[in-house]
Amino acid sequence: MNEISPETPSTASLEQLLLRDDMWMGHSQRFTTRAAVETGYEQLNASLLNRGWPLGSLVEVCQQGMQGEWQLFTPALLALPGLVVLVNPPAAPFSQAFIQAGIDLERLVVVAAAGKKHFISCFIELCRASVGAVLAWQPQETMSYTELRKCQLAAAEGTGLSVVFRPVAMQQQSSPATLRLYARLASSGLEITVFKQKGHLQTQQAKPIVLPLPAQWKAATPHAALMQKSAGAKTDSKPQPLASVIPLRGKT
Amino acid sequence: MNESNSRLWLAIRFFDLPLTALSFTGQSFTELSLTSRPLTTSNLDGDTDKPQVVIQKKRVIFANSLAQQAGVQPGMDITTAQLLSGCEVLPRDETKEQSVLHALSEQCYQFSPYIERYSSEALAQSGLLLEISTCLKLFGGIHALCEKIITQLAQTPYGFNYGLAHSAPAAWYLSFADYAINGTESKALFIERLNALPIALLGDYPKAVEALRKTGFNTLGDIATQINAKSISSFKKRLGAEFTDLLCDIYAIDQNFQQAALFETPRNNYRPVEWFAAEIQFEYPVTLVAQLEPAIESLLQQLSTYLRKRQQQCQSIEWRIADIYHHQELIQVHSDEPQSHWQLLYDLSLIQFNNKALPFEVDTLKLVCEQAMPLQQRSQVLDFEQRRRKSTLQDFTVTIAKLKARLGDGAVYKLGYRDSRVPEITNAILALAEKCNQQLPDVHLKSLRPTWLLTTPELIEQRHERLYWHGYLTPLVGPERVIGDWWQKPVARDYFLAQRQDHLPVWIFFDLYNKQWYVHGVFA
Repeated sequence: MNEISPETPSTASLEQLLLRDDMWMGHSQRFTTRAAVETGYEQLNASLLNRGWPLGSLVEVCQQGMQGEWQLFTPALLALPGLVVLVNPPAAPFSQAFIQAGIDLERLVVVAAAGKKHFISCFIELCRASVGAVLAWQPQETMSYTELRKCQLAAAEGTGLSVVFRPVAMQQQSSPATLRLYARLASSGLEITVFKQKGHLQTQQAKPIVLPLPAQWKAATPHAALMQKSAGAKTDSKPQPLASVIPLRGKT
Repeated sequence: MNESNSRLWLAIRFFDLPLTALSFTGQSFTELSLTSRPLTTSNLDGDTDKPQVVIQKKRVIFANSLAQQAGVQPGMDITTAQLLSGCEVLPRDETKEQSVLHALSEQCYQFSPYIERYSSEALAQSGLLLEISTCLKLFGGIHALCEKIITQLAQTPYGFNYGLAHSAPAAWYLSFADYAINGTESKALFIERLNALPIALLGDYPKAVEALRKTGFNTLGDIATQINAKSISSFKKRLGAEFTDLLCDIYAIDQNFQQAALFETPRNNYRPVEWFAAEIQFEYPVTLVAQLEPAIESLLQQLSTYLRKRQQQCQSIEWRIADIYHHQELIQVHSDEPQSHWQLLYDLSLIQFNNKALPFEVDTLKLVCEQAMPLQQRSQVLDFEQRRRKSTLQDFTVTIAKLKARLGDGAVYKLGYRDSRVPEITNAILALAEKCNQQLPDVHLKSLRPTWLLTTPELIEQRHERLYWHGYLTPLVGPERVIGDWWQKPVARDYFLAQRQDHLPVWIFFDLYNKQWYVHGVFA
């Protein structure tokens, strides 16, 4: 029994391990899913493998509170069929805004799953059913690697878009998610930093991609400028008579 | 042999049903009859201490004995009745009357399988018609059977009259005359008794009765003499086919056919209410839900077979678990869509069972399904767009049902637009089955709207003469004045899009009433 060298089983197990679907070998794209949906932003598509949000895998967005998540995902949600399920949204989605954006409200379902246990079971249930898109906000309790892995495996079983939003602090922790992003609003627009992408080996520090924000959100003219403009306008234009006055002619 | 001649109908007319039905509680009637009279409330049988009348369309349709003594007659208006007797006025409840009749039919089912309900519109009277000719041998003759039925019904709180005759309408009309049943009645006797009845009883045909009265007919006997002397066709010409049919039914006259037995009107078979109940008793006390699973599956399969055989489906089922000390626990399972297969109900049941740990060692597991509906009643929306937007809520019924079973019905919802000027009122939370309104008027369509709406607006602090909400705010776009809801809680606000220090666009407003700033939404 002692004659068997200890190396033999270990090398075999390494090879076996490498054959597993969920093992990630740096730049190897052998096991990553090919299905993707366009993000709607050219710069973002360019930096993502398969030029879009990966379907059937977990996408993790680390952000502080609310940071333009609808700006980021609305184009993809419009392109995807099926339901858009919001699990534990941080506030009530405003129906008027969604009608304006063209999202069919019949497709939008809100699930209030308080507590981590219910959150995970709901997320898994929804991902497995491939409902379309699942956007989930992590509950107050922090999720462990194992719990995230459960979510990732469930996402892999389905074919929809599965996104989980987590606090910024979670960026430092390891996570089994296929794609991990950091989102932040800046003066120039929405900054997206892709800091992990399965099948893509990052050799240098990722540069943030800046996505434009809608023009309506920007002030048309700053208040100060508005004042100046109106002041300038006053000096330039001649005062005009308010209305022409027609004298009444009495009967002679 | 003409078989229709051998038919025998017993009519039971509940004369005080409009009043007594009002105290019907909906409890199982067998329970009620077991406890017999003590359950009856004070206002039954007309022997209350105060006069009472039941009204429909502002007319008295029933008056109890005290009210009648005071001179109240059916057909009077409320005011007259109240002036006469100072009576208590109760509105008629026809659904309750029907439930009482249903409960009474259930009880009479032990005597005859042929039970029909009859309600007279004009007289506001209803009752049951039992065909008993086929049951005579079993119960030992007419007299014994009628005695049994009458004794049984006497235990109920409802007053009744009965009549026996060769046809259903004849029995009904004879119930207005008080003849005892001795078991020796024949068709000739029935006709003789019918002949003595006044034509006013045919009140459901007021025009015909009026016409007959004008021509000098006063009793049914007068009509019978006329029919015998001439023929039925003269009546048909003058009073219409419907009324003539009734006369034919009363006297069992064959109108057209030589071989009446071939065209005999069929009797209606009464179908008692069925429900599903099955239970499994364990040989050992069960402590884990996992051990219950095979039993749950087997019971649900039985239910599925039951439903399939009857072409039915059900929406909710009830699990009853009990231990040897007769502790009971009820678990209800409800599905949004009616089901006739067991798989979804099984999944939903397991979620319910897993949600709560078993409170005791389970000895018996019982499955009850009381409400089942026929498959045909299932309606589908005629939706031509369905093919285009292929996957909608309906495709995920199972997933949604599981979520609801886990989190409760209120935790899964969708949104809709409700017409209003006030933003929080426009955001409607709807059940998934409801259809949501997506027609946004121009005033909202062209304005800036945030994606997140805070449930209650949050007050903005003022620091160093600047607005502060988790960071300093700078108003950028606005104002948009919103005024509305003046009839309830008036709202007057100026909305702005503001940017927080960290570039987060938020939706803020200045309340014109209390002069305060609030955050109401976030653009994300």
